[in-house]
Amino acid sequence: MAGPARSRASLTDPQFALIIVSGVIIFHFIIIIIPLGYSFWLSLHETNVILRSTEYVGFDKWGEVLTSKQTINGTLLSLYFAGIAVVLSFLLSLGIALVLNQDFPGRGFLRAMILLPWAVSEVVTATMWTIILEPNWGVLNGIFPGTLWISQDWAMFWVAFAFVWHMAPLGAFFFLAALQTIPKHLYYSARIDRAGMFARFQYVTLPHIRYAVLIVLVVVTVEAFRQFDLVFAMTGGGPGTVTQILPLLIFRYNFQFSEYGLAAAASYILIIIATMLAVAYFVALTQKKTKARAVTESPGAVRVRT
Amino acid sequence: MIRRREKVLIGVSAVAVVLWTVVPFFWMIYASLMHEHEVQQGLLRVVEDPTLENYERIFGLSETEALFGGQTKSILRGFMNSFIVALPTAIIGTIVAALAGYAFGRFKFPAKTPLLFTLLMTRVLPPIAILIPYFTLFREVGMVGNHAGLIITYLTGVIPLLTWVLMGYFATLPVEMERAARLDGCSRLGVLWYIILPMAAPGIAAAFIIAFLFSWNELLFGIILTGGTSAQTLSPALLAISPLTATGYSGMALFSAASCLSILPPLLLALVFQRYITSLNIVDPVTFRED
Repeated sequence: MAGPARSRASLTDPQFALIIVSGVIIFHFIIIIIPLGYSFWLSLHETNVILRSTEYVGFDKWGEVLTSKQTINGTLLSLYFAGIAVVLSFLLSLGIALVLNQDFPGRGFLRAMILLPWAVSEVVTATMWTIILEPNWGVLNGIFPGTLWISQDWAMFWVAFAFVWHMAPLGAFFFLAALQTIPKHLYYSARIDRAGMFARFQYVTLPHIRYAVLIVLVVVTVEAFRQFDLVFAMTGGGPGTVTQILPLLIFRYNFQFSEYGLAAAASYILIIIATMLAVAYFVALTQKKTKARAVTESPGAVRVRT
Repeated sequence: MIRRREKVLIGVSAVAVVLWTVVPFFWMIYASLMHEHEVQQGLLRVVEDPTLENYERIFGLSETEALFGGQTKSILRGFMNSFIVALPTAIIGTIVAALAGYAFGRFKFPAKTPLLFTLLMTRVLPPIAILIPYFTLFREVGMVGNHAGLIITYLTGVIPLLTWVLMGYFATLPVEMERAARLDGCSRLGVLWYIILPMAAPGIAAAFIIAFLFSWNELLFGIILTGGTSAQTLSPALLAISPLTATGYSGMALFSAASCLSILPPLLLALVFQRYITSLNIVDPVTFRED
């Protein structure tokens, strides 16, 4: 081994890995753990903005948050938003991916194009869908004047709908990547067996994209629970409070009412939901590992990796 | 016969996908070419004299703009601020995440799984949950209203995401060349620089673009940490003139024009990104190598 390289070469693999990963680790602790700890401390204190004083109140704020109508309403709205977002994004992104997986002229162009809604910011997504949905001069009202479904009752649905437009391309790319791993000859043999489109989807496509299905479901759920920008830009929580999902409520507690303790306690509801989602996410991602090994170890299987 | 029916079906659904993607863009551009009073009369009409007035106002070329006190300047300043924030975020974020991603994708080391989990946890955590402590802490140290505070905050969002993405990418790269280089006496950092970097270039480019888009588009931290200050980024600047919010002062046509301009950098990047995204194995981020 050459001389100058010697000192570095004496590092073992794990040592070297820990050194280059240390940037992320340090970042993490400073940036995530300390703020979360501080936020927990805030949730246990009553802050008086005028006197600039804090007083220890134990878990009072937590009790207040867990029993308040606003928080329960906000949590339910968040669940509703995520529910719609997940179901619609899933169906749409799968649909888009199936179309893009076909052979037709202009497919490359279309593939480049469908990514555009994802690249656009949430603020602009809100602009676009407001232009379409606005109840007085909006496009939809021009086509179907005075329709009932552009009303307050549907506000949360339409915000979720705009979110789906923004998110579906990402899901479509996950699905498309999975679809492209399916060997073409499986479809040819299915055709020879006179399998129709739906039969081919059920018996050839679906078993191959199960993992992508899982990932898309988890990613969209996570994004829906994190979402603040779109709802804030599109409705600001209104009309009234009909779209005031949990993150918006926390924002209001903190920046409008200066209820720092309440805001911090309420944000812990989100943190708990997020932790559960992260566990689900992690299990979903690592599950693939065992599956992949099972495939490569089965007799006759092509060993892709060595 | 079946094949022909399928062809028609594919054609129809391809057109549907195009419309679904393009129609919202179309109406925003359409609204941006209208006079303000025309918007109020309903968008679904033929514009008789399309105008570039709204764009001229944003670039300060319109004479009437003096009457509005030149408030649309905030948009151009937002562009500049967003570049100032997004570029360092993307550069630092990509470097840190590439190193970490390489370590996670290639090596086994102590506490790897718990570390991966906390990384993912950060990714899943709603931004609002860490915003409140950030705001209070940043106010104490005087980092509200400057670019550095925002860059640090964005890095917390970008680094975990990119680490996951790049980890999957590095894991798919063949390890043989690295081993050969090591045997020939190349140092570990030399391997990273001469072997890994060229091979991973498409993935790293994609990661850079994801990071740039993230910081360019972000709103919540932008509002809280720079809103109303001279460091205000583009998304909060847009929202400040939005007629949809209580504080907005402009009309829908001007707002549409500003929105159209704001998406030009992301759209260009997305078109570039499109070529690289196939190279990113984001579907399968946890292909641990068993070496």
